[in-house]
Amino acid sequence: MTVINVTLPFGLIKKVDDYSKIINVILEQQISVNILKFSTGRSGINLLLDIPEDKINSITEALKKNKVIVNKKGRVIVDIEKCIDCGACVSLCPTDALHLDEKGLLEYSLERCLGCGLCIDACPRGAIEET
Amino acid sequence: MTKTYSEINEKIKNGSVVVLTAEEMINFVDEHGIKVAAEEVDVVTTGTFGPMCSSGAFLNFGHSDPPIKFEHLTLNDVKAYHGNAAVDCYIGCTRMADIKPFEYGGGHVIEDLVSGKPIRLKGTSYTTDCYPLAEVDTEFTLDDLNQAILCNPRNGYQRYVCAVNSSDKTIYTYMGKLLPNFGNAHFAGSGCLNPLTNDPDYETIGLGTKIFLGGGVGYVIGEGTQHSPSNRFGTLFVKGNLKQMKPEFLRGATYEKYGTSMFVGLGIPIPILNEGLAKKTAIKDEEVITGIVDYGIPRRDRPTLKEITYKELKSGSIELNGKKIKCSSLTSLYHARKIAETLKNWILNGDFLLNPPAETLPTDTVFKPMKLTAELKFVKDLKKDAEICYDDCDIKVVAEIIIRKNVNHIVITDRDRTLKGIVTSFDITRAIAEDKDHLSDIITKRVFTTKDNEPISNAARKMKINNISALPVLDDERRVIGIITSEELM
Repeated sequence: MTVINVTLPFGLIKKVDDYSKIINVILEQQISVNILKFSTGRSGINLLLDIPEDKINSITEALKKNKVIVNKKGRVIVDIEKCIDCGACVSLCPTDALHLDEKGLLEYSLERCLGCGLCIDACPRGAIEET
Repeated sequence: MTKTYSEINEKIKNGSVVVLTAEEMINFVDEHGIKVAAEEVDVVTTGTFGPMCSSGAFLNFGHSDPPIKFEHLTLNDVKAYHGNAAVDCYIGCTRMADIKPFEYGGGHVIEDLVSGKPIRLKGTSYTTDCYPLAEVDTEFTLDDLNQAILCNPRNGYQRYVCAVNSSDKTIYTYMGKLLPNFGNAHFAGSGCLNPLTNDPDYETIGLGTKIFLGGGVGYVIGEGTQHSPSNRFGTLFVKGNLKQMKPEFLRGATYEKYGTSMFVGLGIPIPILNEGLAKKTAIKDEEVITGIVDYGIPRRDRPTLKEITYKELKSGSIELNGKKIKCSSLTSLYHARKIAETLKNWILNGDFLLNPPAETLPTDTVFKPMKLTAELKFVKDLKKDAEICYDDCDIKVVAEIIIRKNVNHIVITDRDRTLKGIVTSFDITRAIAEDKDHLSDIITKRVFTTKDNEPISNAARKMKINNISALPVLDDERRVIGIITSEELM
């Protein structure tokens, strides 16, 4: 499974039919989709979807056709010049995308990052930024 | 088997000294036993690299022409303390820049100084006959200063607590960001590598002990403030020449909604003078015990929920009330190890000799609470009776009570007095303006509340940060037993 981050931009949904259209696009793929996060953001409704890796292209295409924005995975950047490997972000990361390696150096795994952003204001060095 | 400082120094000078880090010492003692370790190992090095708020530096700028006696002084817009002679100051790491609070502070000024960056100095004076200059606006670097002395009244806690948050809100503390309902845990200190943990009876550490400080050489100059040996929360007062230090080991820090601080690199060599010290320096993380403390309770005596070892803390998760909680460190263990390694290499290279302290740290002082002359007031002392309406009542009835009782807040409950919401006189006005007929259309259901035993200052802060003017007072069963409004607080 892999995580994609999609946005339903403001103005996209005007009536219930618009919702059903998007849901039908997803249903046509005949896969199980886990919604990991549902939140309202500056540009619309953000969803984190957990989908099978081999379906990523077809579902991305289908969503894009319906004007849903598909964002890249991973939403933060760790500035290693500023990072001092303290670990203050590690306990906040729900997927261990931020973790310390055997030596105690901070590692960031883009693959595992959900873009939840919990870590950003936990960093005492201001080393984590949203992309 | 005992050794003396001069015997160890002789070995340092002739290159035969055996130095291990506190982590290496554990393995050595496991393998060879305490007796052999005491004979063969001469020095054990320790290290820690964590945020230490009681840190700062004395700076001397030299005199301007004409001379100035600073009355007010900022360094990169961070106020420095100038209650000394004309051009001396103390820059403390938690003082925040007036223009960029919660972003840049004294710790960042010190990091920038050590990095060789220019620092903007602005100062004013009331002027005197001997110091006639009224104003200075200039730039300087570390090299331009006569003295730059890192002087930290409290560093290197022997151990520290593990922080969690029982409340229903995310809180921002000096222990970092703590998620609600025990969502995560943070600890500080490097456990088995911690300096004082390796000399818990202060046999070798005291006034004059030479140490690694911020990447340079420093000294312990006595017990730290709040030194509390009886419960193994000893602390150190340290100083060192900032001019020798390195930015890698002195880093400015900002804790969201708490303020600024500074990461300080501290390492202390422990001479293995006897078997007792060999045993003590072999202390393992599983033998260093601390408490899990609930920072969700904003009181001095926060409850300790459970005892825990540094081994568990370093494992990445802890268990509390049958639940697994993600746990991470605020102290960089990578840098703590690097400090112990660096200090070890200094000694092996013959660059760093050891000396006995002129005076060891006290073992009997007590950390007292603040003496307050004013009596602490609680919500129960100031609360008044709440005007209550049931949740099925008419808006008009609510409006009548507001007028008759001359109040602004009506607490809405069910028949058991369980809180359902709150309605203000503004809500009634809104109902009229927007043609709302039902109480349920205007009621605020998410209500901030308080309890009898909450200190008034905490209740006042709750109102201030949430921009509200009243808090219903609830008992343990969430029944309304009163109200406190901003009027009572004034």
